[in-house]
Amino acid sequence: MTTLYVLDVPENTAVVKIADEDPEVTVGRRGWYFEISSAGSIVVDRRATGCRHAVWYSCVAGVGRDGRITQHDKNALRVDPV
Amino acid sequence: MTEQDHRVRGVDHVAFPTFDPAATVRFYRDVLGFPVVHSICAAGWGPENHPDFIHFFFDIGNDDRIAFFYYFGATPQVGGPVGEKGDVYARFGADVPEYFVRSRHLAIHVDSEDDLLEYRRRLDASSWPVEMQIQHETIESIYTHDPNGYMFEITRAMRPVTPQEDDDAALTIDALLDVVAGPEPTFGKLLARKAELIVERVPV
Repeated sequence: MTTLYVLDVPENTAVVKIADEDPEVTVGRRGWYFEISSAGSIVVDRRATGCRHAVWYSCVAGVGRDGRITQHDKNALRVDPV
Repeated sequence: MTEQDHRVRGVDHVAFPTFDPAATVRFYRDVLGFPVVHSICAAGWGPENHPDFIHFFFDIGNDDRIAFFYYFGATPQVGGPVGEKGDVYARFGADVPEYFVRSRHLAIHVDSEDDLLEYRRRLDASSWPVEMQIQHETIESIYTHDPNGYMFEITRAMRPVTPQEDDDAALTIDALLDVVAGPEPTFGKLLARKAELIVERVPV
Protein backbone atom coordinates (compact mmCIF):
# COMPACT_ATOMS: atom_id res chain seq x y z
CA MET A 1 0.00 0.00 0.00
CA THR A 2 1.39 3.37 -1.08
CA THR A 3 0.42 6.23 1.20
CA LEU A 4 1.02 9.93 0.70
CA TYR A 5 0.11 12.60 3.26
CA VAL A 6 -0.75 16.15 2.19
CA LEU A 7 -1.57 18.94 4.65
CA ASP A 8 -5.04 20.44 4.26
CA VAL A 9 -4.30 24.06 3.35
CA PRO A 10 -6.06 25.88 0.51
CA GLU A 11 -3.23 25.75 -2.02
CA ASN A 12 -2.77 21.96 -1.62
CA THR A 13 -6.34 20.99 -2.47
CA ALA A 14 -5.66 20.82 -6.22
CA VAL A 15 -2.93 18.23 -5.63
CA VAL A 16 -5.37 16.03 -3.73
CA LYS A 17 -8.13 16.51 -6.32
CA ILE A 18 -5.90 15.46 -9.21
CA ALA A 19 -4.54 12.45 -7.28
CA ASP A 20 -8.13 11.39 -6.55
CA GLU A 21 -9.02 11.27 -10.26
CA ASP A 22 -7.25 7.91 -10.50
CA PRO A 23 -9.87 5.26 -9.65
CA GLU A 24 -7.18 3.14 -7.98
CA VAL A 25 -6.50 5.93 -5.49
CA THR A 26 -8.41 6.46 -2.27
CA VAL A 27 -8.42 9.79 -0.44
CA GLY A 28 -9.20 9.78 3.27
CA ARG A 29 -8.49 12.05 6.20
CA ARG A 30 -6.25 11.90 9.21
CA GLY A 31 -6.76 15.06 11.22
CA TRP A 32 -5.45 17.99 9.20
CA TYR A 33 -3.97 15.68 6.58
CA PHE A 34 -5.32 14.10 3.44
CA GLU A 35 -4.30 10.43 3.41
CA ILE A 36 -3.92 9.44 -0.24
CA SER A 37 -3.44 5.71 -0.73
CA SER A 38 -3.25 3.15 -3.48
CA ALA A 39 -2.34 -0.52 -3.90
CA GLY A 40 -0.01 0.63 -6.70
CA SER A 41 1.54 3.93 -7.68
CA ILE A 42 0.20 7.42 -6.98
CA VAL A 43 0.84 9.86 -9.82
CA VAL A 44 -0.05 13.58 -9.85
CA ASP A 45 0.36 15.66 -13.01
CA ARG A 46 1.70 19.07 -12.03
CA ARG A 47 0.12 21.03 -14.88
CA ALA A 48 -3.29 19.59 -14.07
CA THR A 49 -2.95 20.90 -10.50
CA GLY A 50 -2.10 24.43 -11.63
CA CYS A 51 0.49 24.57 -8.81
CA ARG A 52 3.54 26.69 -9.31
CA HIS A 53 7.04 26.24 -7.92
CA ALA A 54 6.70 26.89 -4.18
CA VAL A 55 3.55 24.90 -3.44
CA TRP A 56 4.39 22.07 -5.83
CA TYR A 57 7.77 21.32 -4.29
CA SER A 58 6.53 21.59 -0.70
CA CYS A 59 3.14 19.88 -0.87
CA VAL A 60 4.23 16.47 0.51
CA ALA A 61 3.88 16.06 4.27
CA GLY A 62 4.83 12.39 4.49
CA VAL A 63 5.26 9.14 2.58
CA GLY A 64 4.50 5.80 4.24
CA ARG A 65 7.45 3.37 4.35
CA ASP A 66 5.78 1.08 1.81
CA GLY A 67 6.20 3.77 -0.82
CA ARG A 68 8.93 5.99 -2.17
CA ILE A 69 8.93 9.17 -4.27
CA THR A 70 10.49 8.24 -7.60
CA GLN A 71 9.66 11.49 -9.41
CA HIS A 72 9.01 15.01 -8.13
CA ASP A 73 9.83 17.47 -10.89
CA LYS A 74 8.12 20.06 -13.04
CA ASN A 75 6.03 17.38 -14.73
CA ALA A 76 4.78 15.06 -12.02
CA LEU A 77 4.87 13.69 -8.50
CA ARG A 78 5.09 9.92 -8.48
CA VAL A 79 5.10 7.60 -5.48
CA ASP A 80 5.83 3.95 -6.24
CA PRO A 81 5.48 0.93 -3.97
CA VAL A 82 8.83 -0.17 -2.53
CA MET B 1 8.06 17.85 26.22
CA THR B 2 6.64 20.36 28.76
CA GLU B 3 5.27 23.55 27.29
CA GLN B 4 7.19 26.52 28.66
CA ASP B 5 6.00 30.14 29.00
CA HIS B 6 6.70 31.99 25.81
CA ARG B 7 7.68 35.41 27.18
CA VAL B 8 9.77 37.06 24.48
CA ARG B 9 8.39 39.95 22.47
CA GLY B 10 9.95 40.05 19.04
CA VAL B 11 13.27 41.39 17.83
CA ASP B 12 14.84 44.06 20.03
CA HIS B 13 17.52 44.65 17.43
CA VAL B 14 19.62 42.86 14.89
CA ALA B 15 23.06 44.40 14.30
CA PHE B 16 25.46 44.51 11.36
CA PRO B 17 28.71 46.33 10.60
CA THR B 18 28.83 49.03 7.94
CA PHE B 19 31.74 50.75 6.24
CA ASP B 20 29.46 53.20 4.45
CA PRO B 21 27.26 54.95 7.01
CA ALA B 22 26.23 57.67 4.54
CA ALA B 23 24.72 55.19 2.07
CA THR B 24 23.27 53.14 4.94
CA VAL B 25 21.45 56.18 6.32
CA ARG B 26 20.26 57.10 2.82
CA PHE B 27 18.90 53.60 2.26
CA TYR B 28 17.14 53.03 5.58
CA ARG B 29 16.16 56.56 6.66
CA ASP B 30 15.79 58.53 3.44
CA VAL B 31 14.65 55.91 0.91
CA LEU B 32 12.65 53.54 3.11
CA GLY B 33 11.62 56.11 5.73
CA PHE B 34 12.73 54.06 8.74
CA PRO B 35 13.23 56.58 11.58
CA VAL B 36 16.57 56.80 13.39
CA VAL B 37 15.61 55.95 16.95
CA HIS B 38 18.77 55.47 18.95
CA SER B 39 22.51 55.84 18.69
CA ILE B 40 25.55 55.21 20.85
CA CYS B 41 28.79 57.14 20.34
CA ALA B 42 31.55 55.24 22.06
CA ALA B 43 35.25 56.00 22.53
CA GLY B 44 36.60 52.48 22.24
CA TRP B 45 34.97 49.69 24.18
CA GLY B 46 37.36 48.21 26.71
CA PRO B 47 39.97 46.26 24.81
CA GLU B 48 42.97 48.32 23.61
CA ASN B 49 42.43 47.46 19.97
CA HIS B 50 38.71 48.29 19.91
CA PRO B 51 38.10 51.28 17.61
CA ASP B 52 35.90 54.22 18.45
CA PHE B 53 32.48 53.59 16.98
CA ILE B 54 28.94 54.72 16.37
CA HIS B 55 26.13 52.21 16.92
CA PHE B 56 22.96 53.50 15.30
CA PHE B 57 19.45 52.12 15.09
CA PHE B 58 16.50 52.36 12.70
CA ASP B 59 12.93 51.51 13.66
CA ILE B 60 11.60 48.65 11.49
CA GLY B 61 8.08 48.77 12.94
CA ASN B 62 6.59 47.04 15.96
CA ASP B 63 9.30 48.82 18.00
CA ASP B 64 11.81 46.36 16.53
CA ARG B 65 15.09 47.77 15.23
CA ILE B 66 17.90 47.19 12.77
CA ALA B 67 21.24 48.53 14.00
CA PHE B 68 24.65 49.18 12.50
CA PHE B 69 28.18 49.58 13.81
CA TYR B 70 30.45 52.07 12.13
CA TYR B 71 34.04 51.69 13.34
CA PHE B 72 36.27 54.73 12.80
CA GLY B 73 39.40 53.83 10.90
CA ALA B 74 38.28 50.31 9.99
CA THR B 75 38.19 49.18 6.37
CA PRO B 76 36.32 46.22 4.88
CA GLN B 77 39.59 44.24 4.99
CA VAL B 78 39.21 44.02 8.79
CA GLY B 79 36.90 41.05 8.15
CA GLY B 80 39.39 39.28 5.90
CA PRO B 81 40.06 39.45 2.18
CA VAL B 82 37.24 40.99 0.20
CA GLY B 83 35.47 38.17 -1.65
CA GLU B 84 33.69 37.96 -4.94
CA LYS B 85 30.29 37.25 -3.36
CA GLY B 86 28.51 38.09 -0.16
CA ASP B 87 28.33 41.25 1.92
CA VAL B 88 30.69 43.36 4.02
CA TYR B 89 30.40 40.91 6.91
CA ALA B 90 30.54 37.59 5.03
CA ARG B 91 32.58 37.18 1.87
CA PHE B 92 32.70 34.14 -0.35
CA GLY B 93 34.69 32.84 -3.29
CA ALA B 94 33.21 32.49 -6.76
CA ASP B 95 32.75 28.75 -6.22
CA VAL B 96 30.32 29.12 -3.30
CA PRO B 97 26.79 28.42 -4.56
CA GLU B 98 24.28 31.27 -4.68
CA TYR B 99 21.68 29.42 -2.61
CA PHE B 100 24.16 29.36 0.26
CA VAL B 101 25.29 32.97 -0.12
CA ARG B 102 21.64 34.11 -0.11
CA SER B 103 20.47 31.89 2.73
CA ARG B 104 21.07 34.39 5.54
CA HIS B 105 18.83 37.40 5.20
CA LEU B 106 16.48 39.72 7.03
CA ALA B 107 12.79 39.87 6.01
CA ILE B 108 10.64 42.71 7.29
CA HIS B 109 6.88 42.23 7.49
CA VAL B 110 4.15 44.41 5.97
CA ASP B 111 0.41 43.90 6.33
CA SER B 112 -0.84 44.39 2.79
CA GLU B 113 -0.09 44.43 -0.92
CA ASP B 114 -0.49 48.22 -0.81
CA ASP B 115 2.26 48.49 1.77
CA LEU B 116 4.53 46.13 -0.17
CA LEU B 117 4.09 48.13 -3.36
CA GLU B 118 4.72 51.39 -1.51
CA TYR B 119 8.15 50.10 -0.44
CA ARG B 120 8.73 48.82 -3.96
CA ARG B 121 8.01 52.36 -5.24
CA ARG B 122 10.45 53.90 -2.74
CA LEU B 123 13.22 51.44 -3.60
CA ASP B 124 12.69 51.68 -7.35
CA ALA B 125 13.11 55.46 -7.16
CA SER B 126 16.45 55.02 -5.36
CA SER B 127 19.93 53.72 -6.14
CA TRP B 128 18.82 50.33 -4.74
CA PRO B 129 15.87 49.24 -6.93
CA VAL B 130 13.98 46.04 -6.27
CA GLU B 131 15.88 43.12 -7.80
CA MET B 132 13.07 40.56 -7.53
CA GLN B 133 9.39 40.56 -6.67
CA ILE B 134 8.18 37.02 -6.13
CA GLN B 135 4.84 35.50 -5.15
CA HIS B 136 5.72 32.26 -3.39
CA GLU B 137 1.99 31.45 -3.58
CA THR B 138 1.36 31.97 0.12
CA ILE B 139 3.65 34.98 0.60
CA GLU B 140 4.81 37.78 -1.65
CA SER B 141 8.23 39.40 -1.26
CA ILE B 142 10.42 42.08 -2.72
CA TYR B 143 14.19 41.80 -2.52
CA THR B 144 17.17 44.04 -2.93
CA HIS B 145 20.64 44.37 -1.42
CA ASP B 146 21.33 47.25 0.93
CA PRO B 147 24.46 49.41 0.48
CA ASN B 148 26.46 46.93 2.56
CA GLY B 149 25.52 43.97 0.40
CA TYR B 150 23.06 42.57 2.95
CA MET B 151 20.10 40.86 1.34
CA PHE B 152 16.98 42.79 2.28
CA GLU B 153 13.45 41.41 1.93
CA ILE B 154 10.04 42.88 2.62
CA THR B 155 7.24 40.33 2.71
CA ARG B 156 3.48 40.03 3.13
CA ALA B 157 1.33 36.99 3.82
CA MET B 158 -1.22 36.27 1.09
CA ARG B 159 -3.41 34.41 3.57
CA PRO B 160 -3.31 33.96 7.35
CA VAL B 161 -1.26 31.05 8.69
CA THR B 162 -3.62 28.24 9.71
CA PRO B 163 -3.40 26.26 12.97
CA GLN B 164 -2.67 23.05 11.05
CA GLU B 165 0.52 24.59 9.67
CA ASP B 166 1.84 25.08 13.20
CA ASP B 167 0.98 21.46 14.08
CA ASP B 168 2.60 20.28 10.85
CA ALA B 169 5.75 22.27 11.62
CA ALA B 170 6.03 20.57 15.01
CA LEU B 171 5.86 17.14 13.34
CA THR B 172 8.41 18.20 10.72
CA ILE B 173 10.92 19.25 13.37
CA ASP B 174 10.48 16.08 15.42
CA ALA B 175 10.94 14.02 12.24
CA LEU B 176 14.00 16.08 11.30
CA LEU B 177 15.61 15.56 14.71
CA ASP B 178 15.07 11.81 14.40
CA VAL B 179 16.53 11.72 10.89
CA VAL B 180 19.60 13.85 11.61
CA ALA B 181 20.33 11.67 14.66
CA GLY B 182 20.78 8.73 12.27
CA PRO B 183 23.23 8.16 9.43
CA GLU B 184 23.02 10.02 6.10
CA PRO B 185 19.89 12.14 6.53
CA THR B 186 17.84 12.55 3.35
CA PHE B 187 14.56 14.21 2.41
CA GLY B 188 13.10 10.78 1.67
CA LYS B 189 13.93 9.57 5.19
CA LEU B 190 12.35 12.70 6.63
CA LEU B 191 9.08 12.15 4.72
CA ALA B 192 9.00 8.49 5.80
CA ARG B 193 9.58 9.40 9.46
CA LYS B 194 7.01 12.17 9.27
CA ALA B 195 4.41 9.77 7.87
CA GLU B 196 5.04 7.54 10.92
CA LEU B 197 4.57 10.48 13.28
CA ILE B 198 1.33 11.46 11.51
CA VAL B 199 0.00 7.92 12.03
CA GLU B 200 1.19 7.84 15.66
CA ARG B 201 0.03 11.25 16.79
CA VAL B 202 -2.76 12.56 14.59
CA PRO B 203 -6.21 11.24 15.43
CA VAL B 204 -8.12 9.75 12.47
